[in-house]
Amino acid sequence: MTMVRLRRIQPPIHPFDARILVPTKSVTLRNGTSVFLIDAGTENIMRIEFVFRAGMALENLPLLSTSANMMLTEGSEKYTSEEMNSILDYYGIFINLSAEKDTAGLTVYFLNKHFEKTLELVVEILFHPEFPEKELGLLMKKRLNWYRINREKVQNIATDKFFESVFGSHHPYGRMVKETDFEGMMPSLLKDFHAKYYMPEKMTMIVSGRIPERAVDLFEKYFGDLHSKVIYTEDTKNLIKGESGKKDHIIKKGSIQTAIRIGSPAINKRHPDYPGLKFLNVLLGGYFGSRLMKNIREEKGFTYGIHSSVSSFDLSGFKLISTEVGKENAAKAIDEIYKEIRLLLTEPVGQDELEVVRNYMSGEMVRMFDGPFAIAESFKAVLEFGLDLNYFVRMMDIIRTITPEEILRLANTYYRIDDLYEITAG
Amino acid sequence: MINFSRFRLDNGLRVIVHEDRSTPLAAMNILYDVGSKDEDPSNTGMAHLFEHLMYCGTENIPEYDLPLQLAGGENNAFTNNDITNYYLTLPSGNIETAFWLESDRMFEPDFTQKKLDIQKSVVIEEFKQRYLNQPYGDVMLLLRPQTYTIHPYRWPTIGMDVSHLENIDLDHVKDFFSRYYTPGNAIVTLTGNIEPGKAYDLAVKWFGSIHARESAERMLPLEPAQTEEKKLTVERNVPSDALYKAWHMGSRISKDYPALDLLTDLLAGGESGRLYNRLVRDKNLFSEINAYVTSDIDPGLVIMSGKLMRGTDIMKAEEAVNEVINELKDSALTDYELEKVKNRFESSVVISNTSILNKAMNLSMYELLGDPDLVNREVESNRAVSREMVRESAIKHLSPENCTTLFYLSASKK
Repeated sequence: MTMVRLRRIQPPIHPFDARILVPTKSVTLRNGTSVFLIDAGTENIMRIEFVFRAGMALENLPLLSTSANMMLTEGSEKYTSEEMNSILDYYGIFINLSAEKDTAGLTVYFLNKHFEKTLELVVEILFHPEFPEKELGLLMKKRLNWYRINREKVQNIATDKFFESVFGSHHPYGRMVKETDFEGMMPSLLKDFHAKYYMPEKMTMIVSGRIPERAVDLFEKYFGDLHSKVIYTEDTKNLIKGESGKKDHIIKKGSIQTAIRIGSPAINKRHPDYPGLKFLNVLLGGYFGSRLMKNIREEKGFTYGIHSSVSSFDLSGFKLISTEVGKENAAKAIDEIYKEIRLLLTEPVGQDELEVVRNYMSGEMVRMFDGPFAIAESFKAVLEFGLDLNYFVRMMDIIRTITPEEILRLANTYYRIDDLYEITAG
Repeated sequence: MINFSRFRLDNGLRVIVHEDRSTPLAAMNILYDVGSKDEDPSNTGMAHLFEHLMYCGTENIPEYDLPLQLAGGENNAFTNNDITNYYLTLPSGNIETAFWLESDRMFEPDFTQKKLDIQKSVVIEEFKQRYLNQPYGDVMLLLRPQTYTIHPYRWPTIGMDVSHLENIDLDHVKDFFSRYYTPGNAIVTLTGNIEPGKAYDLAVKWFGSIHARESAERMLPLEPAQTEEKKLTVERNVPSDALYKAWHMGSRISKDYPALDLLTDLLAGGESGRLYNRLVRDKNLFSEINAYVTSDIDPGLVIMSGKLMRGTDIMKAEEAVNEVINELKDSALTDYELEKVKNRFESSVVISNTSILNKAMNLSMYELLGDPDLVNREVESNRAVSREMVRESAIKHLSPENCTTLFYLSASKK
């Protein structure tokens, strides 16, 4: 065949499969801490994620969970904030603090030669924070500044309102933060939250990278004897209740773009339909070749990007289509979004498109299990729902076998137009 | 240690391969030696708009993304002042699809008026979303033309103005392709689960038949040394004031680069940097503060940026920044501090090298700079920086007459 003709034909596609790996080992330390080890990788480096059920869902005051988390590196029994940060940097230890809706904790990356030093510092950070008043005052001032900047962005205005509409203003999943929330945060509140929810016995550690043999012994040494005081934790009585009004527009003067958020509450990872819903979501707006991207970006040029996502919380979940478009095109873009959803509800998906989504998602699965750190992240994403890697085996199976009829059924169950909230800001 | 093989095809294309058997994936990176610095001053934003057009299909392959997705792949690209860089990963068994796709769009993309019009709209929305409709989004649009007087770094990659993008026509696009998208102007790097021999064969098969073409000669003006302090004040609808400073520095391969890179880490790397400790932690003047080098190939900039705490006087904030900067010119730097930033740098390099995509991008960039093996000497050249070198580079570059300051004031109530 000549090169000219060869150029018209795609080289053969070879089947590929994600190798869904289970952690090499899981152990429980003397005090009850669960440890999962994913031993792989080519560099002498490790990543450990420390997870607690200490997310926003457990707070009875806005900003409590995130502030408690962000204060962990701001001073401990042994070190001031400045000393702590300087030592971490000296050893090239990278710490990412995170507080999400359900879980909170930290992830640490370090060179193996600083293994013990890292553990020693992490114990200080996680279990001996002091929450000094001066540092807390500074944190709240900084956060108020960031908050004010974020509230200038139509993306954030629309997203915040979307969550409030879907989950209600009485639950941390939906509660919108106000300027006044930044006043009155006190060390005692954080200490109390920390004592209740950062309990060593209930901690989960996900260890990945090139793990030395003595790792578990060192974990026993540093964490195995840690216990919390017995503490009574009351139910926060946070209630999820969406708003009845489903449409809202927030005016942002001077804005030249409108942010659009369309979506609704949804099932979470524990539901058997969830992997299928994920598939449907990718097809609609979850990858570059998705229907929404093709229509609204590549055919109409209305936007730089449009995405849809499906996400899980412990007590709920949501699906969300989001985009920013020129003000003059907002109404047209919204019409097109609904047009695409209606199409999903009525027309079976063609085989060609199905094939593309199957292959794209299979490729994603390979990426999700490429290397120890990616495996650790994928593992954490199911562990917090009480699931294991069988979730991904099931997902892989659904990616390969889902039918157009099943997609129609899922669309008609989960994408009813009347259920959708539509929030715009601009 | 990143081992690699390197070869050059007859048409001038450079190919680098780094084999890493620990992954089921392979990555391909294609760097084109063209960036916004190569644009006509009246058509700024062209290089980046062109990157978008490269995804619009060719005569042979009407859609770029579809076959890649069928092969389980994923791709993206970025454009900056110096380069346009395309990258993808896919299951290594399907690497030939990557060669097929990338060689064909280097061979013969299919530009049409309709595709151009749509991508112009998309990029204009990107311009609005990221630069115009974003608090502080226009900072680089303001700062660049102040710092540079004649060098094309005076405009940002997105373009000087939306009207420049609107005025680009199909002839500009075709001309840009023939001048810059030649085999001799590109570097293809493969990393991951691919054997060098196989990569060579596939490169010859797919890229080898593309004819060598003359690349445009680059003749950029040399930015004259700045001799006078520059200041610019603007007022915008933002919640708090912000302060920006830019000092001219040498090129990416200049002798001072590692020292200045290290110096900015010293100032703002992590939460133990000097600027953070003094101006955020101790004095509460700023809510965030940062410093970095732009890492441009031609003489670039050291940039400091900070958002002020509400109620801080911006003159007082500037004075405090200058104080920290001036201390660097004394011998106040301790061995502990120096060791700290070096260790931190080493860690970040090791972490970065766990990704085949990062390795592919770094190898490509260092090939462009003259030697891909520089990727293995990053830590070493950072380690070689002494206290005295930091001090000298601060004295040489961080002077008021070499500096442009932007006072970005909040128009809203104080």
